[in-house]
Amino acid sequence: MSRPRGTDGSLLTSLPWTLSALIVAMAPHIPFIPIWITVIFVGCVVWRYVIERRRGVLPSPWLRGALALGCFLGVLATYSSVSGVGPGSALLAVMAALKLLETRKRRDQFVLLFLSIFLVMSSLLREQFLWSLPYLVVSMLIIMSAWLRMSAGESQTARQSFMTGGRLLLYAAPLAIAMWIFFPRLSTPFWAVPIDTSRATTGLSDTMSPGDISELSMSDEVAFRVSFEGDVPAARDRYWRGLVLTRFNGRTWSGREPSISRSSREQVQPLGERVDYEVTLEPTRQQWVFALDMPYAWSLSRTFMGPQQQLARTTPIDQRIAYKASSYTDFRVETDLSSMYRNWYSELPSGSNPRTAELAREMRAAAGSDQAFVNAVLQKLHEEEYYYTLEPPPLGRNPVDRFLFDTRRGFCEHYASAFSVLMRSVNIPTRIVLGYHGGELNPMGGHLIVRQSDAHAWTEIWLDGIGWHRVDPTAAVAPERIEMSASDAALDGIGEAWGFAAPSRLLHQMTLTWDALNAKWNDWILGYGPETQNSFLKWLGMEDPTWRKMMLTLVGLVVGLIMLISVLLMSRYRPPAKDEAAILYQRFVKRLGQTPDTGETAQVFALRVRESGRVQAAMVDEITDAYLDARYGNGGDEAFARLKEAVGAMR
Amino acid sequence: MQRSTTLESLPTGRSAQREVIERARQALGTIILGKDEQISLAIACLLARGHLLIEDLPGLGKTMLAQALARVLGLSFRRIQFTSDLLPADIIGVSVFRQESGEFEFQPGPVFSQLILADEVNRATPKAQSALLEAMEEQQVSVDGSTRELPTPFFVVATQNPGDQIGTFPLPESQLDRFLMRVEIGYPNEESERELIAGEDRRSMLREIEAVTGPEMLIALQEVVREVPVKDALISYVQALVRHTRESADIDIGLSPRGAQALVAAARAYAYVENHSGVYPDDVQAVFASVAGHRLKPAGSTRFRSPAELCQHVLDSVAIP
Repeated sequence: MSRPRGTDGSLLTSLPWTLSALIVAMAPHIPFIPIWITVIFVGCVVWRYVIERRRGVLPSPWLRGALALGCFLGVLATYSSVSGVGPGSALLAVMAALKLLETRKRRDQFVLLFLSIFLVMSSLLREQFLWSLPYLVVSMLIIMSAWLRMSAGESQTARQSFMTGGRLLLYAAPLAIAMWIFFPRLSTPFWAVPIDTSRATTGLSDTMSPGDISELSMSDEVAFRVSFEGDVPAARDRYWRGLVLTRFNGRTWSGREPSISRSSREQVQPLGERVDYEVTLEPTRQQWVFALDMPYAWSLSRTFMGPQQQLARTTPIDQRIAYKASSYTDFRVETDLSSMYRNWYSELPSGSNPRTAELAREMRAAAGSDQAFVNAVLQKLHEEEYYYTLEPPPLGRNPVDRFLFDTRRGFCEHYASAFSVLMRSVNIPTRIVLGYHGGELNPMGGHLIVRQSDAHAWTEIWLDGIGWHRVDPTAAVAPERIEMSASDAALDGIGEAWGFAAPSRLLHQMTLTWDALNAKWNDWILGYGPETQNSFLKWLGMEDPTWRKMMLTLVGLVVGLIMLISVLLMSRYRPPAKDEAAILYQRFVKRLGQTPDTGETAQVFALRVRESGRVQAAMVDEITDAYLDARYGNGGDEAFARLKEAVGAMR
Repeated sequence: MQRSTTLESLPTGRSAQREVIERARQALGTIILGKDEQISLAIACLLARGHLLIEDLPGLGKTMLAQALARVLGLSFRRIQFTSDLLPADIIGVSVFRQESGEFEFQPGPVFSQLILADEVNRATPKAQSALLEAMEEQQVSVDGSTRELPTPFFVVATQNPGDQIGTFPLPESQLDRFLMRVEIGYPNEESERELIAGEDRRSMLREIEAVTGPEMLIALQEVVREVPVKDALISYVQALVRHTRESADIDIGLSPRGAQALVAAARAYAYVENHSGVYPDDVQAVFASVAGHRLKPAGSTRFRSPAELCQHVLDSVAIP
């Protein structure tokens, strides 16, 4: 009786390879896809292997159909869509797992390996890291080996399959590099990869509510990297301007959608030295573009300066981008502010934070001038017992009052907010700037790393005759926070607390090295876009690289490389030494007009030919002897010469 | 029993070695009439350091061939008649307690000879059979915990009577593998038979025959045989043959790699006997039936009546590359 769904263990040798290929291809997806898909995947892999081991029976088509439908609906329910990178790769992964359950023949295994390659490729649609490429190479190697393992069967050992797979990848490498360099990069991609918007992103939020929850993450994730063309500005000048918040409702500060106004840049009056640098910004999914305070020129397309001198791009930053920018750390902005704007920048909700307002009015009266008042407030923050902490207590209603008079603990947002409320209470125009401060200089790469933990909030007040002037109240409380970067401060704290400063320093050193590598990788490999390609090709000597030229070069290179590899391979291939004695003997046989039977040896054939009596027996013997001696014996060249002569003499 | 050849009379050099082969063939040919092919195979088997299984009906000269070989080649000879009550000790020997010395003394069995005729090997129990086969494989025997080397050259000629069915233990395939060749002698042709009937008694002739060589010469020849060239073209042929035995529908179990090695080793020796300058396809064909015949397991449905026929069919269906 036939069991159509039964397995006979014939895949037992190649199946583990196929499974490994699938697992390797699947691994990079695991952190991004729902856990239930991973569970199903692992389950299917184990299940299929056990079936093969036990010569078991594959699940029935009904069960498979039900599983497939269930998984499809599961993906749909999880993502409420089946298109896009996330749902797409989740669907691919789960379907590959289910395909295992109907894998019975080699053909099915081929399909699985194809799926593995798709899985590997789809993982590249997500974020790419420094290790992505090595991982990709290793996965491809395993997939190729599995492929060879399956098609070669018993004729190749696992080791040989591995070596052949490696060789094939090696042959493909020059082609891949040529394609990578010359394939025209377009500023707008051919196809739009739907971006995973559901994924939470770190970065600055558009609003600020000190006291609600601590939103300051000590995440070590890199926000952006900066390489300066000249000297790196001092730490206290490294304010990376992001967005500006202008409205306060008593609890939350918010900004206004940046409206593009060309005049806002003209408000900036540069003083002092210009600083030129290049920023490589990690994707933020937001539109803010960070630059050293105060930016004056930038190379990023579709990027404009908002009315509060914040830089914004018209489209969110979904990919890692690099841009050049120039800033002046010494500047004047908007020395002339109309009274309407002065009022607008001093607006406070009536009745909120009354104690703060009261305090401000008292202090302003005592100080005499706005400038003196500002200094008095900063001095108060500095001298009285205010603490800088990353874990402040919650503040509740009238957060500024509670913070200033009761808790006295907070981080930059609390101080910026409190300071602004104090200023606005006495009608000094104030706004809050969100961005980053400081950054760590990586001695390895020579660049500055700005991390999410460097996020900062500071204030700008408008003073008559001076314009907008930056005041960082956090500096008054925790000057070291401004002189050093946050991570440095945290690191010292940890080291001292645990009494092992050295290991953490070493760790830090390693982190820096890794970051330097990452930065280079980003600059050269991942950031290889239209501009980099253009300049690289120019550097290679291609004048005015156009789409056409690139394609022609690419086609030429690919054809050339394939030919080169083929020639190399062919030159290494040693054809079996031409059996000249056999060729001569064939000539003899042809001239006789008689052919030996299958399995008839030369001697037997000679006997038969002689018996036919149509040819000279001596000649046949001579040729047969010489042939056997030359081809099978140790007659060598001498026997071959005899054979040649005898066959030549035959007419 | 051994007719020793003195060193002075030991022929040296290439031509002398060839001479020995020719003289041995001739001498054997005078006793066993019309069986030149079997004689050449037997000599080749010996030169290839293999053991020989002769399978045929009684009275066809199996024993005669073995005895003649020993005589002509100057080897010490013992005959072991395998019977159902034969014990391993009857083959290997036994330790005997000596009253006068108070010690055990090993009495070597018949296996301690250069040429052994194991007559009707399938009549003995598997236990006795395996004692011999082990000796053949290892060229040594273990008695009472000590290992004793067997003499060199060591050559076993076993005979088996295929007609006997009752009370026999035919050698299993795995043990048949220990024999390099299995040959069948077959009936003599008419002319030879006439001479046999009319002529002198073969036994008395056997007593009179002179040894043409000795063990030292044989050892030297065994060395020379190993150097007969085997060219790529021949290896391709052997491979094609072996592949055919594995793929053919007529054969259940084809030749193993060891079988292929045996085929080449035997062909080498045969090529030497035939005075070829290398191993020719003819040599492979000549030894093929005797080397492969007992190593192949024909399919149940095969149309061939004997292994020899099957082997001939294989030779006829594989083209010589």
